[in-house]
Amino acid sequence: MATNVRTESEVTDLTLTATSEEARGLRDRPIILRLVSIALFAGIWEIAGHIPVSFAFPTFSDTIAAFFRLIADGSMPAAYLSTLQPLVLGVLLSTFLGVGIGIVCGLSRAGEWLLIPVFIVLQAAPVAAFIPLVTFVYGIGMTAKTIAVMILALPVIVLNTYKAVRNVNESLLVMCRSFLGTRWQTITRIILPDASPVIFAGLRLGVAAGFVGVVLAELLITPTGIGDLITFHRSRADYAEMYATIASIIALSTLTLVFLQWIEVRVFRPEKRGA
Amino acid sequence: MTTRRAMFAAVLATAIGSALPLGAAEAGDMRIAFGDLPGIESIQTLAAIERTKERGVNVELIILNDEDLAAQAIVGGQADVGIGAPYTLIQKVGVPIRIFGQISTLRFFPVVNSEFYKSWEDLDGQEIAVHARGSGTEAVMLLMAKNHGITYGDISYVPGSEVRRGALLQGTVKASIVDAANRRALEAEAPGKFIVLPVEDLSATDEAVFATVDYLESNTADVDILVEELIKTGREITENPAVAVEFRNTYGLLPDLGAEADVEVEEYYKETAEAGALAINGGGAEAAADDFEFFTLADQIEGDPASLKVEDFWDLRPLDRVLAKLGTN
Repeated sequence: MATNVRTESEVTDLTLTATSEEARGLRDRPIILRLVSIALFAGIWEIAGHIPVSFAFPTFSDTIAAFFRLIADGSMPAAYLSTLQPLVLGVLLSTFLGVGIGIVCGLSRAGEWLLIPVFIVLQAAPVAAFIPLVTFVYGIGMTAKTIAVMILALPVIVLNTYKAVRNVNESLLVMCRSFLGTRWQTITRIILPDASPVIFAGLRLGVAAGFVGVVLAELLITPTGIGDLITFHRSRADYAEMYATIASIIALSTLTLVFLQWIEVRVFRPEKRGA
Repeated sequence: MTTRRAMFAAVLATAIGSALPLGAAEAGDMRIAFGDLPGIESIQTLAAIERTKERGVNVELIILNDEDLAAQAIVGGQADVGIGAPYTLIQKVGVPIRIFGQISTLRFFPVVNSEFYKSWEDLDGQEIAVHARGSGTEAVMLLMAKNHGITYGDISYVPGSEVRRGALLQGTVKASIVDAANRRALEAEAPGKFIVLPVEDLSATDEAVFATVDYLESNTADVDILVEELIKTGREITENPAVAVEFRNTYGLLPDLGAEADVEVEEYYKETAEAGALAINGGGAEAAADDFEFFTLADQIEGDPASLKVEDFWDLRPLDRVLAKLGTN
C-alpha cells in the first residue's frame, strides 16, 4: 500500500508549473492581453476624466459617444476624405521616390555624395518650421499639404533604403560574384531581397511620419479635414469631439502600420510568417 | 511585449493624471494671458497694462498664440486675467470664469472684387472666404447675409487676414473679410479694385478681460485698477487718437515695429475711435446683450439671446465700482 504523500516542495513545484502553464496559455493568446491592456487604458482614462484632470479633459465614454456622433453626422467621414487625399498621395510619392533615390544612393557613390547630405539635413531639421516656407512657394492648397507630407516621410524612407542597400551582407555579394552573376542579377537577386527588411522598416516609419505631416499641414496651413475638426471643436469647447478626432487619427495611423507589417510578412517575406 | 504595453499605458495615464493645474498667484501679482501676438491694435491694452504696473500691480504678461490657449491658461490657473471673448467656454465648460470689462468691439471689413460684385445682394450664392469655421469673421458674414436675405455658396476657410488679402490681390478669392490693417493695405496696393461692403448693427466684443470668479473676488483692488486703466486709455484715445503714438513712445511698446509704424498706429486709432470701437465705458450689460445676439448667431453659444443671463457670463461689480469713481461717458 503506497500512500501518496507529497512534500511541501513538491506541491509548490506543482502549483508553479500550473501557474506558468496558465501564463503561457495567456501568452499564447496575445489578443486577450491586448484587450486587457486597452480596457485598462480606457478605465484609467475614464477615471481621470471623472476626477477631472482638467476642465478640458473628457471621460473615455464621452469621447466614444462623441466619436459616434461625428461618424453619424458625417463630419468625420468627410474630414477623412479630405485628409486622406494629401496623405495617400504624399505617402505613395514618398514611397516610390524614396525607395528609388535610396537604392540609387546605395549603389552609386556619386548619388550618395549628391543626395544623402540633403536628406540627413532634412531629417535633422525641425520640419514644422519649414511649413510656412512651403506655403510661400506652393500656396495653401493640396500641393502644399502633399509637400508637407513628403518633407516628413521622404527622408526616413530614403535613408533607410540607402543604409539597407549599403549594408548588404558582403559574403552574399561575393557568392553572387563567384557564380558569375551579372550586375543586374546582383541587384535584383541579392541586394534588394537582403535589404528588404530594413527598407520595409523605413516605409513603416515613413508612413507614420506622413501622418505627422498631414496633421501638421492641416493645423498650420489651412484647417481642412482632421485639422479643421480639431481646431473647430477646440474653439467651440467641444473637448470630447476634439479628443475623439485626435484619438481616431492615432488609431488610424496605428492600424495602418499594423496592416503594413502584416502585408510585409504575408506577401513579401513569407519566411517570417508565424514568427 | 504586451505586458510592457500595459505598463506603458499605465505610466502614460499616471503622467496625464499628474498634470494637474497649478495654484493661483499671490495678491498683488497679476498674470495676464494675451491670446494674440500683439500688433498695433494692442497698443491700448498694452498701455493700460503699463499704467496698471505703474500703480503698483505686479503684472506679468504672457503672450500666447491663440485665444483658446489664453482661456485655458485662466481655467488651468497658469494665468489670472485673460484677454478675448470666451463666451463659448463659459457656457459649454461650466467653468466659473466671468468677463469683467470690454476693451474693444469687432471690426472687420467685408471686401469684394469690384469686377465681380458691387453689393451684398451680388454675393447671393457666391463663394466667400473667411478665417475659420466658427470664427468671428464667419459670424459677421453670416449676420450680414441674414440681414440682406442672401445665402452664400461655398464658404472656404483661409486663416489670416494677410493671407486673404494676398488671395484677393491674386484674384483667387473674390469676396472675403479682412481686418482694418489689411483693408488699408488693399486700398493702398490696388486702389479702386476692391469695394468694402457696409456692415451695420455690429457691436460684438472683440477683446474683453476675463478671470475666474475666485480671482475676481479675492483681488478686487488689482482688478479695479486694471479696469480703470483700460477705460481711461480707451477714453483718452477716443478723444485724441494721436495719444496712441505717445503711449507707444512713453512705454516703449512694440519696439520691433520701428518708428515708421507710428503713422499706421495713428491712422488705425483714428479710424477705430471714429467708429466707436473702443469701449469707453467697459461694456457691461449692454455689451453682453449685443454679444448674446451675435454669438448665438455665430453658433458659439446656445439658447435664446433674450433668455441668457448677463450674470452667467459677466461679473459687473468691478465695472460698477470703477464707473462710480470715473463717471459714465
